[in-house]
Amino acid sequence: MMTVHFFEVNHEIYWGLLIALYFFYTGLSAGSFILTSLGTVFGIEKYKRVAKVGVLMAIVLLAFAPIHLLFDLSQPGRALNLFLHVSGTSAMSWGVYLLILYPVCLLIYAWFMFRQDFVNGSKGTGFKAGLYRFLLFGKTDMSPAAHANDQKKAKFFGTIGVPLALAVHGYTGFILGNVQARAIWHTPMMPIIFLMSAMVSGTGLFILVLLLVEKFKFGRLRDDIKSLIADIANLMKWFIVVDGALMVIYFIVLWYSSETGYAAAYFLLHQDFWSFIGLENGLGMLIPLLILLSKKARQSIPMVAVASVLTIIGVLAMRINLVIGGQRIPLTGSKIIEYVASGRDIGIAIGIAVGAAVVLTFLYAILPMNRAGAEEKVSSSTTKGVAQ
Amino acid sequence: MAKRYVMVIDLRRCVGCHACTVACKSENNVPLGVNRSWVEELETGKFPNVSRHRLPRLCNHCENPSCLKVCPVKATYQLEDGTVLVDYARCIGCGYCIAACPYDARFINPERKTAEKCTYCHERVEVGLLPACVNTCIAGARIFGDLNDPKSEVFKLLATQAVTVSKPETNNRPQTYYIGADGKALRPNLLEILGGEKS
Repeated sequence: MMTVHFFEVNHEIYWGLLIALYFFYTGLSAGSFILTSLGTVFGIEKYKRVAKVGVLMAIVLLAFAPIHLLFDLSQPGRALNLFLHVSGTSAMSWGVYLLILYPVCLLIYAWFMFRQDFVNGSKGTGFKAGLYRFLLFGKTDMSPAAHANDQKKAKFFGTIGVPLALAVHGYTGFILGNVQARAIWHTPMMPIIFLMSAMVSGTGLFILVLLLVEKFKFGRLRDDIKSLIADIANLMKWFIVVDGALMVIYFIVLWYSSETGYAAAYFLLHQDFWSFIGLENGLGMLIPLLILLSKKARQSIPMVAVASVLTIIGVLAMRINLVIGGQRIPLTGSKIIEYVASGRDIGIAIGIAVGAAVVLTFLYAILPMNRAGAEEKVSSSTTKGVAQ
Repeated sequence: MAKRYVMVIDLRRCVGCHACTVACKSENNVPLGVNRSWVEELETGKFPNVSRHRLPRLCNHCENPSCLKVCPVKATYQLEDGTVLVDYARCIGCGYCIAACPYDARFINPERKTAEKCTYCHERVEVGLLPACVNTCIAGARIFGDLNDPKSEVFKLLATQAVTVSKPETNNRPQTYYIGADGKALRPNLLEILGGEKS
């Protein structure tokens, strides 16, 4: 039936770029943490070597993620209300506590991981030694019992960290999934999809950061790390397979669901074609998957790096497509709601990204990054660092 | 028995003058660009078989409001009489309620910087007056009252007339009832809007 709306009012999209980026950052944090837990918690020895790289990444990304939210609030000065007034029915309220517990747990976990290296590096003068002495909080015991205790505690806090990491990213899925007004969000798959795409992007960024850390901390990529990266790339391949399968399942059921659900699927496929099919699932999922299917490519650092970059782009596109795309479909009236990120939001996003990169670089530069399997070479480079 | 305020909008009487929109803006000091209440107008069909439909929209003061459930600081609350209100001093402006409302009823007030929506003119109702939109409606199309009072006009209308609500499937249990509302106004063809169907 021919229908023309000749009078209606405009509605605005309030959850824009910053919210999508918040989901993206928590995902990167959760993904990289879970990866490092493979060593410390699940006992896969080779992953222990890179646990420190991953845990610092997880902490810094999680510390910067909520800044997006703070800038997105219309009343940022009242953010404290989130702690004063708890609402059990709001996923956002659950997140407030997870966003406190998770980084605290990670900090304790990281401390036990770094403690012995702090002791080793605390002798002498200079900024680093002083910092290590401060960070030790007087716990300089290097007896075998203390070593065992470090490992036990790291495992304990790592073990608590795993469900917390799952929760801290899963809850963001609930934020969208609990909104029944929008068919595109309202699915029990949302937390699982968020978790899996977090694993994909977290692994992607972890590989890139690991390459940089190895390059700048140790000068060259050692063979054990090379083979580990091939292993991680293999893991990433499977993460992409599962994530892709979840997306396909999500999409098929959306297609066969209610009128609004079908319309949402249509929207993704047509209005959002370039972003949904092109960026998110083509460039960001299919191409890295095709790259990583080849064993030869998985052993090639440049190929793995390219695949990692692509997965990060894909997951970022996924966050934007879901968060913003979900609000572009009108609830009343007859117009698709347009969204253009404001200059302020883009500026804040760039500022936070730069800030996170600077802090992470600083931490990697000053903290002892030596690892099992590379003690000798690394300890000498550490002393050199301290001497300088 | 406690009161249960509802609104009935009789579209057989509505002429599309938008006086309700203006009265609401004036009464509640609603800034430009945002609305607590508005009237959508549409035309259907092809000459000579055509008609015009109007659909005033406002907060439905739902029995089970999704905006209330998602608020992380409990700034949105519901009075015993069903009125859903926002505590402007507590709201942090996160926008979750706006994303969760199925009716586009909420917005961030650009001056106050908090979530805002229709309050059924709570401060007027408290002192025995009618909401501004009801008070001003030239044709008496908006009827406001206590559904728990069998002598009230809203009770009589709901008991005797065929009424519809917007999006009953959402489990929000909206409490704005329409008489004579057109389905194409209540639920526009989403597929057509998204470019999937030519009219």
